[in-house]
Amino acid sequence: MSVYITGIGIISAIGFDVQENYFSLKEKKSGIEKIKLLPFENDILAGEVKLSNDELIRKFNLKHSPYSRTSLLGIAAATEAWGNNFLTDELRTGMVSATSVGGMDNTENYYRQVLENENADVSLILTHDSGSTTEKIARHLKITGYINTLSTACSSSANAIMLGARLIEQNKLDRVLVGGSDSLTRFTIKGFNSLMIYDNQWCKPFDENRNGLNLGEGAAFLLLENESSIRITKNKIYCRISGWHNAADAFHQTASSPDGKGATLAMKQAIEKAGIASRDISYINAHGTGTKNNDASESTAMKNIFENNIPAFSSTKAFTGHTLAAAGAIEAVYSVLAIMNDVVFPNINFTQPITETKLVPQTEFKKINNVNSVLSNSFGFGGNNTSLVFTKN
Amino acid sequence: MYYITAASTISHQPTFRNKSFSKNISTLAAGSVLIRPDYKELISSDMLRRMSEIIRMSISCAMDCFHQAEIKQPDAIVVGTGLGCLFDTEKFLASIITIKQGLIPPTSFIQSTHNTIAGQISLLLGNHNYNMTHTQNTISFEHAVLDACLNLDEGKENVLVGGVDEFIRPLNNIANQLGYKNIQFTSGSSFFVLSKMKNDKCKTQIRSAITFTFIESFTDCLTRYLGEIKLDKKEIDLVLFSFSDEDAKVSIEKYFSETVLLNYQNYSGTYFANSAFAVHLAIDILEAGDFKMNGSPTELVKVSRILICNNLNPKNLGLTIVESIEA
Repeated sequence: MSVYITGIGIISAIGFDVQENYFSLKEKKSGIEKIKLLPFENDILAGEVKLSNDELIRKFNLKHSPYSRTSLLGIAAATEAWGNNFLTDELRTGMVSATSVGGMDNTENYYRQVLENENADVSLILTHDSGSTTEKIARHLKITGYINTLSTACSSSANAIMLGARLIEQNKLDRVLVGGSDSLTRFTIKGFNSLMIYDNQWCKPFDENRNGLNLGEGAAFLLLENESSIRITKNKIYCRISGWHNAADAFHQTASSPDGKGATLAMKQAIEKAGIASRDISYINAHGTGTKNNDASESTAMKNIFENNIPAFSSTKAFTGHTLAAAGAIEAVYSVLAIMNDVVFPNINFTQPITETKLVPQTEFKKINNVNSVLSNSFGFGGNNTSLVFTKN
Repeated sequence: MYYITAASTISHQPTFRNKSFSKNISTLAAGSVLIRPDYKELISSDMLRRMSEIIRMSISCAMDCFHQAEIKQPDAIVVGTGLGCLFDTEKFLASIITIKQGLIPPTSFIQSTHNTIAGQISLLLGNHNYNMTHTQNTISFEHAVLDACLNLDEGKENVLVGGVDEFIRPLNNIANQLGYKNIQFTSGSSFFVLSKMKNDKCKTQIRSAITFTFIESFTDCLTRYLGEIKLDKKEIDLVLFSFSDEDAKVSIEKYFSETVLLNYQNYSGTYFANSAFAVHLAIDILEAGDFKMNGSPTELVKVSRILICNNLNPKNLGLTIVESIEA
């Protein structure tokens, strides 16, 4: 059973909707700047969404506070992806979202108040758990029934897309809104700093002199439908999701294996699932975080699969920052845009290939003939590796 | 059908490697503590040192499951956890707030992500298969079970699935501040192997599971579900349930007026994934074939099919049916 993509929505450091994101990618306009909105953190380069919580709350006319920023970003992207669709008893509708921080922004404020013996606002803690983040988004769109959240660090929303596709393939749902959301928090900024992999300059994915990642925030959602759903909704088909695979690297809690075992397995099986050969892949949206470890391991894995015929590939993280649990969905939307417009996106900040692997990413925005199939990689802590394949319908 | 070829639980009850525990457990006393196995017998001591309780419990149960099911590598590892690795999350949160200058140790950050649990199991086994973590507050475990069943439907043979959450002290303060009274927070971990094939020792199976979010009528959901799986409520011998508001309790008692009901929270204590405890309790009761628990007023009843009805969060509902294979 084919799984069609008929809706996309996104909010990131490079735009508040799909069109703005596409424009920024085309114009090579990065959204990574010094932090302005997140309190307590200065002089840190990150991909902030340039809207405050209050602005987001007003924009979507929200009540029933408190909201975590993760929910607010999720509502923005999910609303765009859902578009003018309406609920009907004829269709089994569900939602799978993903987040790694959930309501950690509010939890940080609550916990600081507790530790500093201020009068703590306990209502803030009600947004802590990841599931409540998803419920707030679903509630906004009035989706009920199967509502689920995955949390597998940086591969989370790629897994949400995969689970949604599987639920449709196994005929458990007719349509499902899938994606993920994460906001910038002190927790993650300090966390990646403590691991010494936060670059205090602009990140340089796949460059020999890369020195770590810049975090970002954002959300993206995609509407997946089966054929009987499309007969009712009459939605236009953007493309299909045709392949997916999740594999454990089983090497280290945070580091990727030097031979790229998990990444290789994820890519290989996803391509197989799509029923195509590796030479049919037109473009790879790589995970490419800009850390020494990831980019070396991912390059090795790409060579394992494609040998000397590596298709055009790029990491878009130097635009958005690494948006953690949202990254898979944000990059899935970019993959869909690549297919819809027959384009490949640039890998900015690249000057010198990695000595060992010598791979040169796509550095210019470029129209090419027939972008038929796009591979998108998302790799996370715990060795959680997921690859997705999107195919022109 | 999804055969249950292994079940293992660490909880505040003597559940670990203790078959027929359902015959001997009583409702939790105030101030009860987690009954830990000797972790050193199960996990090497240098690994143990770095592990929080949630990881220790999970790995111990997972290893026990592989032993019972006589498998070395599961084809998928699926975990449901409502709040994830709370101990390390709280520890890192406290560090970033209190350490104003200088380096913050990264270990608790590394171990704070929800998927540390499933990830550590894969790492320990060198397992490269499907590895997933579901976190949908009180119905995280049911979502993990649904994913495990999906994996079996897709052709996998053996899937490890677990539900686990850990208690940390700040939970008590938060509950007090939120005005919740008389909640006994506990830790617990239950893991199972679900299989396509049954082995000689296998006596129980999961018939099906379902989740509902933003429920309006508890009984409508039940009626719809039982209709979908073509089961009459009279065919259910025992209902294990949890609830957090009295109205729900009244409506479930009314709905199952002719069935024996048991509030499993009185045995497991409260944690987000405690419906996994209830599933193991159900398996243990089914293997015994009849049921009469300490402190429960009912007479001995024959049991071959049990419904676990998880309404711990009033807006969510998780339903799981566990039955004897002969049923």
